[in-house]
Amino acid sequence: MRKLSLAVMTAVLAMVPALGAFAQTNEGEVIVVHGVPDLLVDVYVNGDLTLEDFAYGDVAGPLALPEGSYALAVYAADADPNADAPALEGSADLPAGAVATIAAYLQEGGTPTLGVFVENNATIEAGSARVTARHLADFSAVDVLANDGAVFEGVTNGQGGDADVPADTYNIKITAAGDSGTVAFDADVALAEGTNTIAYAVGSVADGSFQVVTAAITGLADAPAGVPTGTAGLAATISPVVWAILAVLSVTALSGSVAVARNSR
Amino acid sequence: MKHMRIAFGLAAVGLGLGAVAMVGLLAGPDEAGDARAVEAVLASTSTTSTTAPTSSLSGGLIADDARWIANERPLLADLSPNPGRAPTALRIDALGIEAPVGAYGVDRLGRMDVPDNVTEVGWYKYGPAPGEPGSAVLAAHVDLAGPGRGLFFDLDELQPGELVVVSYSDATEQQFRVVARSTYLKTELPLDTIFSRSGSPVLTLVTCGGGFSRSARSYDSNVVVYAEPVETTDTTAAAS
Repeated sequence: MRKLSLAVMTAVLAMVPALGAFAQTNEGEVIVVHGVPDLLVDVYVNGDLTLEDFAYGDVAGPLALPEGSYALAVYAADADPNADAPALEGSADLPAGAVATIAAYLQEGGTPTLGVFVENNATIEAGSARVTARHLADFSAVDVLANDGAVFEGVTNGQGGDADVPADTYNIKITAAGDSGTVAFDADVALAEGTNTIAYAVGSVADGSFQVVTAAITGLADAPAGVPTGTAGLAATISPVVWAILAVLSVTALSGSVAVARNSR
Repeated sequence: MKHMRIAFGLAAVGLGLGAVAMVGLLAGPDEAGDARAVEAVLASTSTTSTTAPTSSLSGGLIADDARWIANERPLLADLSPNPGRAPTALRIDALGIEAPVGAYGVDRLGRMDVPDNVTEVGWYKYGPAPGEPGSAVLAAHVDLAGPGRGLFFDLDELQPGELVVVSYSDATEQQFRVVARSTYLKTELPLDTIFSRSGSPVLTLVTCGGGFSRSARSYDSNVVVYAEPVETTDTTAAAS
């Protein structure tokens, strides 16, 4: 089995709470991922410096923003934004109520690029967790396995996917597609209930900078469907309908007794 | 004479039924305290407890203390649920209840999983522990076919003002005071409120009640008691 450098899981920090906090205000939330090795940057959004000295492997957020379009510019940290060209630039459309990841990352072949990915912040059924994987690394197609079973297969650079699974701790492996013996990542990961755990594979496998960084969207859990706590009927109460019927019957019986009493005279 | 006997008989039946009906109709709704107020508190909470600072984009640089934590990288293991302070026992003196509490999740039908016995109380482990923000749900059977009466058989007699004591895995205890009780048809149970994970801490005790269907072997309602943490005063400062 040929094992490539085992990446260490890092950067949990962006814990994004669910929709509720900003659904009312037509805002969305943004996670920013730095997946370009050896490049310290400053990030400008709509011309405003938003992240300073942002380093490879850093994950930042959540940043609440009004829905709309945003111009993104990434400058080397020692560059002059008024004179130099940005290292990367692009734009992002943020819908209301959405959570989006803006990532600077290497394409397969090593060219840096900027990408925007809308994350799945839909409600998760009670007892389940969501796992999202994004292939943002300079590498060919990969498979993502949980407990040695494939969750995502043939994922190429720039692609990703999400799946809902029972909340639990899983052994997660990232391997070359169709080749489970070529392992880029292998670690036990807790997939918390009601949380979308997003794993971004970044960097270059060939030069050893490859790593997996993460973010999490919390608070997505649905309530369970009920609380079944009684099967013997010992505590049963009588419904108001039955009481009403008894009341009517009692009035009928009493009036009947009066009628019989009258007739008997 | 025969007519008089019939008359007396009918009158007796009528008075008997009438008395029973009066008791039933006068028994009143199975509510105590202000359950609607508790529901409103749980339902109105928004998830404003962010774990990273947020800021609007207007105007240049973000202040230093609002910068995102870009350079600290705890291991992913920190994402795992913090076992922290799980409830381990429940005591309700007013009802003579003292029982262990176990952590439960979701059953195969998507309902809260509950103990299959009448000796343990179940705590919904995906929600908060009692005393943490949101509604901590403790459920136990009103009864169980076979064993008979369950731990929460008398839950519908618990009155506002009575105390509930929870013990935890870290050997601490917390008192809660009942503020409301309500019976809901299961089809009208406010699930999102009862299982809310944010807002003021509420301890929510749940069991079955109401009418019973022998064919379905289930009740048509849930009895729900809401309790709030009793503020403890810090006496250690006074002692020194």
